Amino acid sequence: MAYVRVFTDHFIGGRKMCGIAGVIYKDKKTHPVGEALTSMLESLQHRGPDSAGYAIYGSLDFPKNYYQLNIEVKRKRGTLDNLKSLLNQISPIFEEQLIESVGGSDIYKCKIALDEFSLLKPCINEIDDLENVRFINGSHSFEMIKDTGKVKDIAERFDVPSRMGTHGIGHTRFATESGVDRYHAHPYQSYIIPDITVVHNGQITNYWKIRDPLERKGHTFESFNDTECIVHYMADKLNQGYKLEEALDQAVIDLDGPFSILVGTPNGIGIAKDKLGLRPGVMVETDEIFAVASEEMALHDVTDSDEIEQIAPGETRAYTI
Amino acid sequence: MKEYVIDANGMEEKELNRTIKEQTKYHDKLIIDNPDSKHNICAGLTEDVEIEINGSAGYFVGTMAHGPRIHITGNAGWFAGDNMTEGELIIEGTAGDGAGQGIYGGTVIVKGNVGSRTGEIMKGGTVIIGGNSGFMTGLLMMGGKLIILGDVTEDVGESIMRGTIFVLGNVKSLGKNAVMEKTTSEDQKELQEVLAEYGFELADEDYANFKKIVNMQ
Repeated sequence: MAYVRVFTDHFIGGRKMCGIAGVIYKDKKTHPVGEALTSMLESLQHRGPDSAGYAIYGSLDFPKNYYQLNIEVKRKRGTLDNLKSLLNQISPIFEEQLIESVGGSDIYKCKIALDEFSLLKPCINEIDDLENVRFINGSHSFEMIKDTGKVKDIAERFDVPSRMGTHGIGHTRFATESGVDRYHAHPYQSYIIPDITVVHNGQITNYWKIRDPLERKGHTFESFNDTECIVHYMADKLNQGYKLEEALDQAVIDLDGPFSILVGTPNGIGIAKDKLGLRPGVMVETDEIFAVASEEMALHDVTDSDEIEQIAPGETRAYTI
Repeated sequence: MKEYVIDANGMEEKELNRTIKEQTKYHDKLIIDNPDSKHNICAGLTEDVEIEINGSAGYFVGTMAHGPRIHITGNAGWFAGDNMTEGELIIEGTAGDGAGQGIYGGTVIVKGNVGSRTGEIMKGGTVIIGGNSGFMTGLLMMGGKLIILGDVTEDVGESIMRGTIFVLGNVKSLGKNAVMEKTTSEDQKELQEVLAEYGFELADEDYANFKKIVNMQ
């Protein structure tokens, strides 16, 4: 029976169910990461038609304790005013933009200041209590862009190719659980530590075994999505002092099910693949970049190198700058 | 020999495969430029034709092929040559998981390293890997010959039923139902013949160093 499961996962899982991509530039300078990730995700569009998203690091040059918020706002009279009124009670709004989107909602993007990072999660909770509003993300050093639809449309809607950065991760989603909406698009973010994101191809089968101890520690979950569970798990490990590579190694031991996980932090990216290697992952490293993706075709969007490496079952790889 | 060049740039997978199929009626050799790691190239191709893929192919290249001789100058993704019944698939670079998966006949050759589960459920034919092979190489193998010139990792020949795995490099561990035997002079002669045919140059003494992995009787 176990073999039937292995085969089913291997035959079907390898071909479908989400594409992941990440790139980091070794010189620590900013590069057109938005353009690079858009090309990579367009190459992986066939792996996930439902939604797509990016976390582009090094794209925001904010003073300490300044945050960019992305909030989904339904087009209903008074909703945006209520939101701004609440935000003004928390912080002055330094910059703002309303980005037209799909599904009867728009994205309200703004810049605020908090006294410290620990106030960000309570701020999120207050915003989420408002009617017709859903908090998408809040970040200090990276910009998250995610929405439903095709990569090309999302990239155009949010002007992604113009975004410069040092590194980033991205995702095309083939939804197998949870809703197809903006919130459930990847990347997911945790607020246990600042600016950690995860994109994921797979399923975590011991979800509750991972979630329970995190909840007992006081970490809150917004959904039943396994990727949200992974990002809290990774954030918790990094918060305990694990290095990115160590946290990824521990994830391979602790998480069950087929997965390829790609993690973004303010200074690096890293990938972990499940013990049986049931989800794909390839990587390339040159003098200039370290890049990972679900399929080789996406790597050729950022390098001419043919030195493509298969990431082995249970293997983890990370690069930090 | 009548050759024809197909520029795959911007083509959808189905359009490319339809073009390949159509052009085999009029040409002996097709050259595919800009394959861009597209999936399923040459899927189900049954014509006696040479195919040169200039670059890398994606998943399932040559799946269910019966007869064509396919040469890839770059790499291949998962399941290269899946369920092939006759012909040749030669990959100059590396390949992903499941290279030669389920083949009934023909020869699949990868010059570089491959991922996991190489030759899983293969029933016949020959798979040759010039580099290393990963986890569960020869999983549930039911026949044929799987030759690895590099190292293999854990659980080689997991639940193997029939067929033979030859490994020149190191074997990290055997899977359940797999045993390691010494090669016979007949095995060594066969290895010499098939490897020489595909341009693998080994020293004479190397042939005696192959490990032979079969099912537990």
